[in-house]
Amino acid sequence: MDESDLPTWPPGTDLETVGTGVPRREAPAKVTGGAVYSSDLRLPGQLYAAIARSPHPHARVRSIDTERARRQPGVVSVIAGEEGGEGVTWYEESVPLFGPVARFAGDEVAAVAATSLEAARDAVRALNVDYEVLAHVVGIDEAQRPEAPSIHGTPGNRTTDPKVEERGDVAAALAAAPIRIEHTYRTPTAVHNALETHGAVAWWQPDRLTIWASTQGVTQVAQMTAEALGLDQSQVRVITEHVGGGFGAKQVPWKDVAIAALLSRRTGRPVQCAYDRHGENVAAGKRGATRQRVRIGADTDGRLLAIDAELVGDSGAYQTAGEAAALWGPYQGLYRCDNVRTSVTYVYTNTGPAVAFRAPGYVEAAFALESAMDELAHRLGVDPIELRRRNHTGVDQQQAKPWSSPDSLPLIYDRISALAGWDARPRNAPPAPGGDGGVRRGWGFAASDWLAGKANPPGYASVELRTDGSAEVVTTVQDIGTGTRTVLAQVAAEELQLPVEEVRVTLGDTAAGPPSPTSSGSATTPTMAPAVRAAAADARHQLVAAAARQLDCAPGDVTLDHGKLVAANSGSRTVAEVLEGLSPAAVHGWGELVAVDDSVSVRTFGAAVAEVSVDTGTGEVRVTRMVSVPDCGRVLNPTLVASQIIGGVTQGIGFALTESQLVDAELGLPVNDSLEEYLVPTVLDICPIEAVPLDRPDTGANQLGVKGIGEPPMIPVAPAIANAVFDAIGIRFHELPLTRRRVLDALAEAASPDESEPA
Amino acid sequence: MTPFDYQRIPEAAAVPAQLTPTVRPLAGGTDLLTRLKACLDRPDALVDLKASDLGRAIDRVDGGWRLGALVTLSRIQHHPGLRADVPALAEAVSQAATPQLRNRATIAGNLLQRPRCWYFRNERVQCWLAGGEGCPARSGRNEHHAVFDTDGPCVATHPSDPAAALVALGATVTVLDGGGGERELAVADLLVPPTDERRVEHVLAADDVITAVTVPSAPRSTYLKAMDRAVWAFALVGVAAAVSADGEVRLVASGVANTPWRLAGAEAALAGPGLTPEAIDRAAAAATDGAAPLAENGYKLPLLRTLTHRALTAVA
Repeated sequence: MDESDLPTWPPGTDLETVGTGVPRREAPAKVTGGAVYSSDLRLPGQLYAAIARSPHPHARVRSIDTERARRQPGVVSVIAGEEGGEGVTWYEESVPLFGPVARFAGDEVAAVAATSLEAARDAVRALNVDYEVLAHVVGIDEAQRPEAPSIHGTPGNRTTDPKVEERGDVAAALAAAPIRIEHTYRTPTAVHNALETHGAVAWWQPDRLTIWASTQGVTQVAQMTAEALGLDQSQVRVITEHVGGGFGAKQVPWKDVAIAALLSRRTGRPVQCAYDRHGENVAAGKRGATRQRVRIGADTDGRLLAIDAELVGDSGAYQTAGEAAALWGPYQGLYRCDNVRTSVTYVYTNTGPAVAFRAPGYVEAAFALESAMDELAHRLGVDPIELRRRNHTGVDQQQAKPWSSPDSLPLIYDRISALAGWDARPRNAPPAPGGDGGVRRGWGFAASDWLAGKANPPGYASVELRTDGSAEVVTTVQDIGTGTRTVLAQVAAEELQLPVEEVRVTLGDTAAGPPSPTSSGSATTPTMAPAVRAAAADARHQLVAAAARQLDCAPGDVTLDHGKLVAANSGSRTVAEVLEGLSPAAVHGWGELVAVDDSVSVRTFGAAVAEVSVDTGTGEVRVTRMVSVPDCGRVLNPTLVASQIIGGVTQGIGFALTESQLVDAELGLPVNDSLEEYLVPTVLDICPIEAVPLDRPDTGANQLGVKGIGEPPMIPVAPAIANAVFDAIGIRFHELPLTRRRVLDALAEAASPDESEPA
Repeated sequence: MTPFDYQRIPEAAAVPAQLTPTVRPLAGGTDLLTRLKACLDRPDALVDLKASDLGRAIDRVDGGWRLGALVTLSRIQHHPGLRADVPALAEAVSQAATPQLRNRATIAGNLLQRPRCWYFRNERVQCWLAGGEGCPARSGRNEHHAVFDTDGPCVATHPSDPAAALVALGATVTVLDGGGGERELAVADLLVPPTDERRVEHVLAADDVITAVTVPSAPRSTYLKAMDRAVWAFALVGVAAAVSADGEVRLVASGVANTPWRLAGAEAALAGPGLTPEAIDRAAAAATDGAAPLAENGYKLPLLRTLTHRALTAVA
């Protein structure tokens, strides 16, 4: 059954299980340590792999002497150099798995399989790699210089020509605009640093390669691995039971998968390859740094007349599959504006490759755009939220069609304004410049849009009814820790009128059915929940038909009522009785979502209010309260939605205040490649977070009215914080994160622009 | 990590004689293990001091406290007597690391930690302190590095919070050597900048073991710390202020030099025992006298002045 054949659940539909805070299914296993992650797997005869990484940011590998490593105790196999990679190529540049040229410090050059991880690591140290060190470059400004070393032989180290999109006449509109704001904004390189590092166990048996992967996309891993290894996709089975965080970095397979597979083929044994924290920080993806030159023109009422954004992002040494950063997005879509030009350039640098990271591009661009909008509001003396209202659009101006939820943003503005107490917020007197003016407080606002959160077809699912009346949902899609199992169980329970406890969910295995989407773009729930609902409805129809036969009446006369099939005039039977009567035939429902309505444009909007304190004596910025109101359509499970909002806000606070991968330009080495020095927020860095989804079914998105929630809540956090810091101390920051160093330097400059520091 | 032997010796007094440059003591291990894993240290053997009768007691002694070398940071943090009588020490340990680490880390081991400089700790870099050449931090990423005494061979800062507090408090350590000799050493003299011949931040010989730390009382004392997140980070700058029994005010900063840094200019600017608002203003302004910040860490100067001001105000 196709989900579009089912009636919509319009706003106000009376639902029993959907919309309740059913506890996360796997919670007991996770809190008791029973949940098995791919790095926990211990198969009979399993070997452990360790990876040799280039210590140089750019070097030719002259030779690799593996002799001493092979003689180490416990070592079973060593693969090194181009030959060791057996023709497997990687990244969008299709470079050899172990290339003749290393293009970042951490680039893989060899791997070892041994009977223990310690033995494998010792053997890696025993490898003797002869490098010819080449000139390197890090940082997008430096990489763009004409004299910069060329990383892939492209002009200006660009990955491709700039992607330019323009509507209207931006130059003329800017020139004519009475109000102009122009700044260059910068955002840092941020590392996902999921608690579980990338890792896989591969077992190459004669007829099939089985991979247990920590991934956001079992189907994609099967596809890409098959392609890389010269297999048919049918020969590769990928299993993902639990994932300890992905945040986009696991939306594509990394070399751990291929290395484990090649070593397994050589040894005939299962091989586990999991990155250590260093590898995770340097060679498993990042949100690339950006430089955004933004010019905004407005009329004296604050209506946008022109936006011009020259956007440059750090791609790292290679490009990965999928969108690494949609930097143009908010400029093109968040506000009504007839004259918009965005130019996006990605630049190669001798650092680890960039990959999608929670709302990639939008998080970076929102900092710049929403800082500029706040500045415009202050310049004009217009309330920041009112300024957004004046610039609202209900239309996707790039595609010239309406949003599926054109009034979401105005409703979000109303809701967050009331929740936060925005209009009653304390108004600061203009601060004295510099420190030590003690602790000052401020409020900030930012709005957001996100290009995804809609279905990414196809999604397939089956629902089988067991003879005891319970149901089993089967789909290949993975649960990356967001609670997919739980919401799919809720949707099936709703359609089958079952208690949610009587619905089992089997997922995360490509052998279980047809392909499923990668969990990226916040697409999992909007794709899979409709498919599961359709499968459950299909099962219900089959059940009703069987009951009608057994009760000797027409299917139209039978209704399902909480475990009972009731005929209009001829009695009733329990579900179990009907199924028993049907046995050995079974009820097996099939559901799919294979297309989406193209007449509307589905977006997920949101907004955040931040309250901060800034200690002008120590430069400490503390976020003291966050209010987040995202639009994810219908809320299937408020507890899980709140978890995603809290997680996104937390990651946003890290992006705003502490997280930045620092690279030594001369050595080309990331210096803070550990959780000690790369500062993700601790629980004490996080404030009370009021997570209040709009909860308004978006029936333009699908029949359930559900959209994604994983990514959007992160987007407005950093600009809301930066705008609150401005409110507190009167300083506008154009670069993140707001470390003590950055804040104290700015305070010193504000106090005495001609002297180095205040007294 | 390279393989090593693991040894237990029940009598602490017998340990020093067994120690050599490659047979090293292990206590909490919170720093040593990270160094072993990074191959910064490659000992042949470790002698586990926790298996010995080395001191674990917190005792009141004349004029102060005596802490056995194996006393953990957690016990100091939660000890009512220490919190009341030497608050600078209790505050310093409570802001160090995390509860898990504080449950393991010992007070003596904390003083002997190696710097967290991200070049020194990086296996792919062989800096002067790690036995190689040069200091990449001097021209590299140095926002966490020293602002005083920066013309030496190394600009790493001392990582210990308690060390600054102990120097301000005038604490001493008791050291037992391999020949059975015992000596008393001020913490201020224990911790010294590394030299070409001794690329380590303390003066202990290979066969020396700290057996106790003696801390004079100073109920008017405090330690303030600035980090880039709320917890679990080393000090960007920390300031310990202590008023001794005879009324002397000592000010010592962490995060600004190879060792805990006595703020002599600030102490002199107090010009007398009265901590008046004017005197505190003068002292805070003088806290950065002689500072020579690097390219990325000029922010530490206003930070140091603020923390000095607030620490003095707290003990006034």
